[in-house]
Amino acid sequence: MKHALPVEELARDERFVRVELFTRAIDPRTVPDDRQRAGPRIKITPDRPDAPDAARVLMHGIFMGELQALEGAGRTCWDFETGSGPQEAPFELKLNMARQCWDEARHCEISVKLGEWMGTEIGEFAEATFLYEAACNPDPVLRLTGVNRALEGLAIDVFNTMREFARAAGDPVLEFCEDWMLADEVTHVKMGSDWLRKLTEDDPERRQRALEFQRVVDKLFSLGGFRGEDDDSPIRLARRFRELAGFADEEIDEIAGLSREARDEFLQHRAALAEDARERTGTDG
Amino acid sequence: MADPKKPRAAFAPWDRRELPGVFDVEESARRVGTYKWIEMRLFEALGGWVATVPELDVKLRLGTHCYHHAWHAELWHKRLPELREMNPDRLTGPPNENMVAFVAALTEPEAPELTIEKLVGVYRVLIPHKIAAYTYHLNNTSTITDAPTIRSLKFVLQDEFDDWRDGEMMIQSLLENAEDVERAAAHQARLEQLLVAAGGIAGPGTIGDPWAKPLEPEAEVPA
Ligand SMILES: [Fe+2]
Ligand SMILES: [Fe+2]
Repeated sequence: MKHALPVEELARDERFVRVELFTRAIDPRTVPDDRQRAGPRIKITPDRPDAPDAARVLMHGIFMGELQALEGAGRTCWDFETGSGPQEAPFELKLNMARQCWDEARHCEISVKLGEWMGTEIGEFAEATFLYEAACNPDPVLRLTGVNRALEGLAIDVFNTMREFARAAGDPVLEFCEDWMLADEVTHVKMGSDWLRKLTEDDPERRQRALEFQRVVDKLFSLGGFRGEDDDSPIRLARRFRELAGFADEEIDEIAGLSREARDEFLQHRAALAEDARERTGTDG
Repeated sequence: MADPKKPRAAFAPWDRRELPGVFDVEESARRVGTYKWIEMRLFEALGGWVATVPELDVKLRLGTHCYHHAWHAELWHKRLPELREMNPDRLTGPPNENMVAFVAALTEPEAPELTIEKLVGVYRVLIPHKIAAYTYHLNNTSTITDAPTIRSLKFVLQDEFDDWRDGEMMIQSLLENAEDVERAAAHQARLEQLLVAAGGIAGPGTIGDPWAKPLEPEAEVPA
């Protein structure tokens, strides 16, 4: 088995269909037309008529993320020689990644059971592979900042928000699942924070590169700025849990800022895509 | 109540633990170093395979088992300094080059159509050999002096038995016709030969030598 498995080679059965992130975001099954027009800042609340479907889409997306988190953590066990060099992974880091494999495997199991409860079939919605792509970085520290700190940090925000939604909606199964997955994600994000500090202690340049990678991933996956601190933010930044996971206050402030930027850029990007589609199909939308 | 001042034996009548064991500290550490090495190779391979296996249930089980073997590696890593090996890396290694060849063949399958080969290597060859090596160690080491190793061996063996059963059932569920069975058997035979050449996961003597002559009883001194 080779080291470094490209994203195209991720093994899936025939139920799964892959699409690019932005294609997924403008797919009317994923984000209905009226929501597309309203912009990304539509919070899932129990009084929304499409809340069950919106929650199903989101949780299926989370399931795909869990699967790739499992695969990414597994690859970090395999891809690197054991050691303390820049292209190596320390023994204890690999042990953490193996632990993460188990946790993510459980999250997949939880997600499948939750999908059955919510009426979702495996593969019903398309898979975007951004998490695994972040897990392909040749530097293990960058993998941990991109995946554990940025994307699993996002997972903390999502689980916390959906746990609140479940409480408000009176869905004990969803609430139970989010509660348990949230606990594990805090641990995973903390692994990212701890290893970032430890492995870059004497290498400020590497730390800078890792933080920059995290910033890029954070911004890219602020998914149109849907994460923020306003009341109407679809996904609320979970400050308390991020602190537990080793984030400093300034780091959390920075993510909030990135999300605002991402929202503006998303709106511009979507307008450009719509314009492009109009030109190609000769319709006026 | 019995008189609390009345002397009792240190070993209760039902406690049959004994000195000595078959291994001295050095041999024990050597074996534990090979255990750590193979547990590492196994959890790394299982982690790497997760992304290459399309069968969803198998993918999730491999992720779970990956951690079991990582935890075993950690147990052995922590045991080494207690066996006078203050640099655990020094003894963390294969018993011989044949074992390296075995691991290379074990971890060779990569394509998504090769799930049977991946599982057969782990659950029909390596794990049965690990169970054998750990059981031999458990039954031959001193139940008094080496109690910490015994405690770990028991935890580890429990995982090995559970994982072996999981793996064997996954294999059985994937074998659908004579061709599949032959594929599985051919791969098993190839890997088994390599592991036999290595002498087992701890090298020759991994499970003792059943042909070894028993020690001569010491000549009796005439009265
Ligand atoms: Fe997860
Ligand atoms: Fe996670």
